[in-house]
Amino acid sequence: MPTDNDDHIDRRTVLKYAGTAGAVGLAGCSGNGGDGGDGEDGMDGGDGEDGMDGEDGEDGGDAFELGVTMGQMDSGLDPQDHAETNTEIIVGQAYEGLLDRDKEGGIIAGLADDWERTDDGSVRFTLRDGVTFHNGDDLTAEDVRFSIRRIVFEDVGIASPQSNDLGVVDEVTAGDGEVTVSFEGYNPIAFQLFATNGEIVQQSWVEENGGDYINRNANGTGPFRVTEYNSGTEVLYEPNEDYWDGAPAVNELRMSASSESSTRVNQLLAEETDIVTNVPPNEVSRVNNSDVASINSVPSARIIFLQMRYDVEPFSSQQFRQALNHAVDVESIIENVLNGFGNITAQPTLEGHVGYNPDIEPYPYDPDEAERLVEESGHAGVEITLETPIGRYLRDVDIAQAAANQIDSLSNVSCEVEQREFSSLVQDVTAPDIEDRPHFNLLGWGNGEFDGSQTLTPLLSSSGALTVLENEELDGLLTDAEATEDPDERVGILQEANQLAHDLAPWVFMHQQFSVYGVSSDISWVPRSDEFIDPDTATQQ
Amino acid sequence: MSFGRFALKRSLQGVGVVWGVITVVFALRFVTPGSAINAVAPLDASQETRAAIAAELGLDQPLYVQYGQYVFDLLQGDMGRSYIKGQEVTTLVFERLPATVELAVAASVVAIVLAIPLGVVSATNRNEPVDYGATLLSLGGISTPNFWLGIMLILIFAVEFDIFNTSGRGVDVGDVALSVVNAEPFVGTLLAWLAYITLPAIALGTYFMALITRLTRSGMLDELSKGYVQAARAKGLPQTLIRYKHALRNTLIPVITVLGLQLGTLIGGAVITEAVFSWPGLGTLVIESINQRDWPALQGSLIVIGTSFVLVNILVDVVYAYLDPGVVND
Repeated sequence: MPTDNDDHIDRRTVLKYAGTAGAVGLAGCSGNGGDGGDGEDGMDGGDGEDGMDGEDGEDGGDAFELGVTMGQMDSGLDPQDHAETNTEIIVGQAYEGLLDRDKEGGIIAGLADDWERTDDGSVRFTLRDGVTFHNGDDLTAEDVRFSIRRIVFEDVGIASPQSNDLGVVDEVTAGDGEVTVSFEGYNPIAFQLFATNGEIVQQSWVEENGGDYINRNANGTGPFRVTEYNSGTEVLYEPNEDYWDGAPAVNELRMSASSESSTRVNQLLAEETDIVTNVPPNEVSRVNNSDVASINSVPSARIIFLQMRYDVEPFSSQQFRQALNHAVDVESIIENVLNGFGNITAQPTLEGHVGYNPDIEPYPYDPDEAERLVEESGHAGVEITLETPIGRYLRDVDIAQAAANQIDSLSNVSCEVEQREFSSLVQDVTAPDIEDRPHFNLLGWGNGEFDGSQTLTPLLSSSGALTVLENEELDGLLTDAEATEDPDERVGILQEANQLAHDLAPWVFMHQQFSVYGVSSDISWVPRSDEFIDPDTATQQ
Repeated sequence: MSFGRFALKRSLQGVGVVWGVITVVFALRFVTPGSAINAVAPLDASQETRAAIAAELGLDQPLYVQYGQYVFDLLQGDMGRSYIKGQEVTTLVFERLPATVELAVAASVVAIVLAIPLGVVSATNRNEPVDYGATLLSLGGISTPNFWLGIMLILIFAVEFDIFNTSGRGVDVGDVALSVVNAEPFVGTLLAWLAYITLPAIALGTYFMALITRLTRSGMLDELSKGYVQAARAKGLPQTLIRYKHALRNTLIPVITVLGLQLGTLIGGAVITEAVFSWPGLGTLVIESINQRDWPALQGSLIVIGTSFVLVNILVDVVYAYLDPGVVND
């Protein structure tokens, strides 16, 4: 049992009952005030892009405590041995990568303050001076080399589930204050990949400690240090006073989880926590009507769609696939099922991501046109089943049921829903052979790289890990995009690919999911579109 | 059969049951859809990455090798390493066990403190309004789903009236004990502990309370109709003495047996209550592990739950045999 449990005895409760000076001592005082976050530095652009201006520096307020409650805790603190968002949020407070992203998804400097592409297509990062790990040691180029190699090469410690996340890395070389990464072939999105992935660990610390220790302790360079780790329950942090960008304003951070969404909302309304994730639409008004908190939502980098396999009837018919796009009233689903928390989509790439084509309009809701196209496809009278995961995406089952009802209401198609446990559906969706994959299913896809290719290639290219389509023209465009060194030209190719994907209609294009947070009125915090939570940017109201 | 042999026999049977639990729990993963690799690897992982992860987790070995290795490790107290958390399962499980035991014991206390007086009052006032009231209460207790009760308790007593905490376990019973040793304000810590544990203990203990009330009532009625009670009445002994010294004592023997057995049920059955109250016990570990297909952690939790159930059963049997030697020869 941790002896410093006193820190998280609920202050309100203790004060309420005990009401003595002693109780205040027991609960632990807030202690010395943090300096408040300094403004971010202006960032130099790399990769031939224009230099990005840094955000204006904000004055930090007084020190304060902040609680974040998510649906699920981390799966261990090793920043390179996981592949899911909750763990990323928890380890990402303590660890950082070479590059980072701003709230809108733009690339900004991280541990590297300059980055460029060399003549041979490799990428070179110049490390920021004066960065130290939480144990006080300096960050070195060797640490960076080791970290990247630990992710991509299986023989460096672990088989990391992130091994594909940095592209096909050939070698990493460490120089004096700089690190060069070379790839097998040209990697046009190297910087996008490094801005989302590739957290840096200290080589000696990792080599000296076993996996069990690394998963329970942290030694990164990030804005917060882990002070207490209770597996599956909560993680406590203190600000890293030596942080290169200035210590955050938050004086004590607590991250915890409640799997029940109603419990999370109740915690927020009882003022036991400050930020809660995934507030269900039916709880939104309860939060907004309270005096103590409100809803803060942001379009996320996750797209929801109904995918149809190109090689099985009736989905092999492009007309039939287009018919289903006309049959589903996405606007009404967003309005009625999601309480407005969604943006309608018309292509696999989301607005704001590289390769988004602004000229593509969503398929209009038109049941008559849908029926006509079904007749034309020669599949009138067909019976189809939509498989949906249960509880994986915001109101997934309700969305699937609404869409299936609308399809079913066509005079010449009947459609029913089959609810699947997510893990079991994933097993089928990722089956090595396309013949083993579901014919028609709901799926969501998060694109943390903000680049169209990171959705198009895995989901719609012939060799994609989860593909439902095989189309030479689309494959050709994606191959061209991969080899194109001119960023503008590449955007043009991806836009063309998106137009083609819209016309081929391998998906019923649904919506962009929103991240819906409940936020205490005591703080001011703007959520990010990549689902990461950054309490170091929160300030006291 | 001597008492010693009986105890030994029951213990050996217990070992057999635990081995059965281990085997069934191990087999479960092969009949459950969804692979652990999908929980570890990202959706777009290549087949090579999947294979590498499978090899690292030992999932590429034949079943009998995995089973043999698992049992062999278990015998040495090693429950393996969590696929998802990368930590020793033994540590994970034994970190969580105290919270679950604490909740189960607190729920039992809530149940006993309310149920026994209620059952006695109900029996001694048979067919009177207080009896009907108690019957209605226990009927309600048995038929109320504990997750619904939990949510209602949170809404009313934590959110609306702000008396208790909504969830979590900020202070544990160990902290209360330590506050005495460390000369910290004991009352403050005790109240803080109560603020966390009261609602989940009520939510979990209500069903149990209803059950014990019914059991106490019927046991008490049974005893009160027996000859010795009538004889005592004829002798002119005071009613209070007859009821609370003689009849209640005899009623409590079967009640205590049920209490013992129910403690095991509470440890295993706290899953839903723990989820509603974010109580950091084995129940939440079970749910997390199921969601993440983290088989070693799930197996470890289930084995510990199963073993504690078996242990409590053996203990109850042995104590019962000690109190009533007739059981040994049955």
